[in-house]
Amino acid sequence: MRIVIGEDEALLRQGLAHVLEHAGHDVVGTAADAAELVRQTEERDPDLVVTDIRMPPTHTDEGLVAALQIHRTRPRIAIVVLSQHVQRGYAVELLAERPSGIGYLLKQRIADIPTFCADLDRVRAGGTVLDPEVVALMLARARRDDDALDRLTARQLEVLALMAEGRSNASIARRLSITEKAVVGHASHIYDELGLPPSEDDHRRVRAVLRYLSR
Amino acid sequence: MGIARLTARSSLGAALVLVGVAVLALGVVELALVLETPVGPPAALALFVVVAWVYAGAGLLAWWRRPRNRFGAVLLLGAFAWLAADLANVPNRVLIAVGTVLATAPLAVVIHLLLAFPSGRLLTPASRVVVAAAYVVALVLQAPLYLFTGAPAPFDLLVVADRPDLAATGARVQQAAGGVVLLATAGILVARLRRATPAQRRVLAPLAAYGTLAVPSLSVIANWIAPAYGLRPETVALVQLTVLAGIPVAFTLGVLRGGFTRTKEIEELAEWLGASGGARLSLSDALARTLGDDSLQLVFRAHDRYVAADGVPVELPEPGSGRRAVEIELAGRRVGAIVYDATLIADAELVRTAGRVVAIAVDRERLTAELRASQDALRLSRARIVEAGDRERRRIARDLHDGLQVRLVLLAMDAQQVAEGPGAPAGTREAAVALRVGIDAAAAELRRLVHAVMPAALIERGLAAATEDLVDRMPVPTRLDLGAIDDRLAPAVESTAYFVVAEGLTNALKHARARHLLVRLASTDGRLVVEVHDDGVGGASASGSGLHGVADRVDTLGGRLQVRSAVGGGTVLVAELPCAS
Repeated sequence: MRIVIGEDEALLRQGLAHVLEHAGHDVVGTAADAAELVRQTEERDPDLVVTDIRMPPTHTDEGLVAALQIHRTRPRIAIVVLSQHVQRGYAVELLAERPSGIGYLLKQRIADIPTFCADLDRVRAGGTVLDPEVVALMLARARRDDDALDRLTARQLEVLALMAEGRSNASIARRLSITEKAVVGHASHIYDELGLPPSEDDHRRVRAVLRYLSR
Repeated sequence: MGIARLTARSSLGAALVLVGVAVLALGVVELALVLETPVGPPAALALFVVVAWVYAGAGLLAWWRRPRNRFGAVLLLGAFAWLAADLANVPNRVLIAVGTVLATAPLAVVIHLLLAFPSGRLLTPASRVVVAAAYVVALVLQAPLYLFTGAPAPFDLLVVADRPDLAATGARVQQAAGGVVLLATAGILVARLRRATPAQRRVLAPLAAYGTLAVPSLSVIANWIAPAYGLRPETVALVQLTVLAGIPVAFTLGVLRGGFTRTKEIEELAEWLGASGGARLSLSDALARTLGDDSLQLVFRAHDRYVAADGVPVELPEPGSGRRAVEIELAGRRVGAIVYDATLIADAELVRTAGRVVAIAVDRERLTAELRASQDALRLSRARIVEAGDRERRRIARDLHDGLQVRLVLLAMDAQQVAEGPGAPAGTREAAVALRVGIDAAAAELRRLVHAVMPAALIERGLAAATEDLVDRMPVPTRLDLGAIDDRLAPAVESTAYFVVAEGLTNALKHARARHLLVRLASTDGRLVVEVHDDGVGGASASGSGLHGVADRVDTLGGRLQVRSAVGGGTVLVAELPCAS
């Protein structure tokens, strides 16, 4: 796929471009600040934008603002935002504006190249990818305030977390070393407990789970 | 206080003007009556009234310029005595009788003036006795003269018998008693002169001599000088009255410019120093009142220059500018200066004396002002230290972000690439992945460290977002009540508020065993109010070690940190921070 990268750290920008090229993607533009990112995206019309949240000049949330701007002008382009640390607030904000074709990951996740590339593919396909750390945060907060989650078993909570990260049944099965059938069984039990509408569509399932966790 | 003083001063002025007009009017009426049918040389008769006016004028001036001094009142008494004595020359039987009785009262007033100088008060029993005796000599011992001296109408109202022998005896008794009174007066004055300072003696001695000699000089002039030079009666009267008219003028000048330590005023000043409470005048006002100069200014010595009470530097007046300055010293140090109007207060020595009395108070006010200034400086420097600390934290967080964290991502990427390299043996592959996972763990550790130093949420999104993030990470139900918050808070206020919340939440978890928490943030009226409530065991105190740090921060910003924590009643931590933009 055709990708534009927004990252102000030159070494990381080059490393990321190298990894993506190596994985067979086409890095059509790189930007060191938010304005440049928006310009590159307008010019190259990529399939996906990967950007850091913190960018010059103020080093606050320019990358996020740029991503949301790109989303509004070119909703077709998939967006993955990276950050040195995760906050639930950013996830909620992103998902509220853009429920699909969106990813929010810790920068450190780039290093696990196969997983990172798979995440980009899923976002490109209209999926939602959330960093395990932010999902854990959401889940802990939801469990704190909601008794329904306490009725789930430890394994079911694991499944729920992976669902919230945006993973498919096959991926969850692989992660937990159980059969896909077992994952389906856990999932339907989770739906029942939480009162979620059953869905075969992975993307819709993620959105329902995240909506539930963000209540 | 100033207004009350002004009112008192202007009502005194009005009263004095009234008295002046009354004396003037009385004099005019008396003058008209006396000159209608003159019983002697008109010039001499008129002089009685003129002398009365001179007394009155001098008395009113002294009273106005020295409201606390009674000398003006004694001079006014003299004015009335002269007006009364002149009644003997008015063509009316009753008034003539009154005038006859009071004929020598003005001389008693001279004794009174001599002994009451310069305060207007008779301060010793001896002086009181002598003055009383003088009035007795003038009013009582005068009686045989008018009772036993036969006279034609209309001067005969008081005559009981024409006994020149008795009258002569009476006159001798009166003269002898008068001489004794005069001698006693001289004795008291000499004693006083011996106690006086040289500067005071220079003024007091001529005045005492003039006053003491003026009275006997009257008879000397009449009985020896006049016959010797063949003076006409008018001339004798003129000379006598001029001698007597000079007395109030000389004494008033002595009171106003004579350089006497006005015991009374200085005593009042000392009393003021011991007073306290709302009615207390400012030191500068007290000095102005004591010295009788409303324009008086008290300045303080600070950092080798003079400053006014409000801290504004002032220059001492140039010589010849009409204003003068007297420096106040305490233990050899200059602590301040009194700047005054040289035309109102002629005597620098008096100002210097007042300065000595108030020196300690001046030094205290000066030290208070200095302390206040250094406190302000201290608070500012503490604020700068906190701000510098925050800046340092932000810099460290940014450096870790931009440097170490990026390096760790790149290292982990390298490790993963080794694992995926074509032809890498399985063992190498596994070791490289394990290395990558290890680096990821180190990165997670670093993220926590950076978060503790200065949370990214605070830098990137501000207080509300950072507090939300804190609350998100709480393991027990925590409600966030977010009011309207100024989105342009100063960084120091933001981070202080954040650390208050973080410390409050940590304490609630660690010590209070709380089950529910509430965090409240709101800014109203230029104050940011931060509250952390818990339903834990309570009994916390603000002196807890963790709270110490945040309490210092809050204090440095001029805010307040309160801990309300009854045992078993939960804990409420409230911080109020000024955040006016």
